[in-house]
Amino acid sequence: MDDLQFRRNVYADPSHLDDETRQAIKEDANRESFVSELEALDQDIKQALNIDVPEDLKSKLILKQTFVSHRQQQRKKRVHLALAASVAFVMGLSLKFMQFSSAYNTLSDHALAHVYHEDGVFSNQMPANVTLASLNNKMETFDGSFNGQIGELISAEYCRFDGMKSLHLVYKGITSPVTVFIIPQNKDLEIESSFADENFKGRAVSYQNSNVVIIADENEKLNKWQENVESNIRWST
Amino acid sequence: MTTKQHRYEALVQAWSADLYRYAYWLCKDKHVAEDVVQETFLRAWRSLDSLKDEKAAKSWLITILRRENARRFERKQFDMGEYEESTIDDVKATSSEQKIENHWLREKIAALPEEYREPLVLQVLGGFSGDEIAGILSLNKNTVMTRLFRARNQLKELVDEEPKARGFNNG
Repeated sequence: MDDLQFRRNVYADPSHLDDETRQAIKEDANRESFVSELEALDQDIKQALNIDVPEDLKSKLILKQTFVSHRQQQRKKRVHLALAASVAFVMGLSLKFMQFSSAYNTLSDHALAHVYHEDGVFSNQMPANVTLASLNNKMETFDGSFNGQIGELISAEYCRFDGMKSLHLVYKGITSPVTVFIIPQNKDLEIESSFADENFKGRAVSYQNSNVVIIADENEKLNKWQENVESNIRWST
Repeated sequence: MTTKQHRYEALVQAWSADLYRYAYWLCKDKHVAEDVVQETFLRAWRSLDSLKDEKAAKSWLITILRRENARRFERKQFDMGEYEESTIDDVKATSSEQKIENHWLREKIAALPEEYREPLVLQVLGGFSGDEIAGILSLNKNTVMTRLFRARNQLKELVDEEPKARGFNNG
């Protein structure tokens, strides 16, 4: 090994000489003292580099980390809380929505369901003695009135029609009672002017603020009922 | 206490002193070195899961530290161009003669170009091999060995030239 390469090797890493360089020490008497000098220099360098470390460094590092992770946990807790709150909010909202949303989306479906629900409550044999005055008293709620009776009125009661206060009129029919609903306008409900299922048929007449729905069995002449309603009902608005 | 916490504290116990010294020789200021070490360990805490092999912990930490040190310059352009002797603190308490010797050598090491000083610190203080230093500094091994040669060569020349002057200045 030439002297330049030897010196380069020793300078580069005096404490970890490779076998070749170790072998080369024996080739020249001066080389051994050169290596010793460099080793001594390295000792000095090491000592010089080895500055004091602040005593509290370790505790500071651990303390700082503890604070940071504590803050992170707090933030996580807040996020979790916010998450839980929004889940609760959405659940509340959808519950409300489901409760008050229309189970039926057409007026006719609704009216039919209502009639089926009250199946057996009214019969043609019941006394029909509700007066026009009493009917019109209730009609005031809808800003409307009847000029005269359109039939023998068995019952005139307010009811809940898809959450809306409505008037439920039951008239004596040919074979079974005829039902007439006075329902406030609701843009969520589609209105079919004529509808029917296997037991009932119906008509809906739409006015500015209200709808009138007539439901009767197949023996009734619905046209006649509809005409009667149209000619007798009056709206004050 | 979590396992993560345990690992973190073990890292602090094992390597914070070495990292502090390394940071000091990078930035040559005690307070800045402490800040850089703080930032390094915070970052290490955040990405502790990415450290798979504990044997690689030291070079992993040094890599983070070098990046944090570089960020310091991105954040604020420090006036670090000219080295001032007064900023090198004589912090190691040894015998007075040794102290003078160390102080003198410290100044010389601090005055080395950074590209020579950094591999020297990694080798002597960190105990890394040429290959490992090449990996940390993203250089090839020959370049590293050449820089180590030049670093020691410069220091050796200074030591050989200056003994009398040193005596006058410090004695």
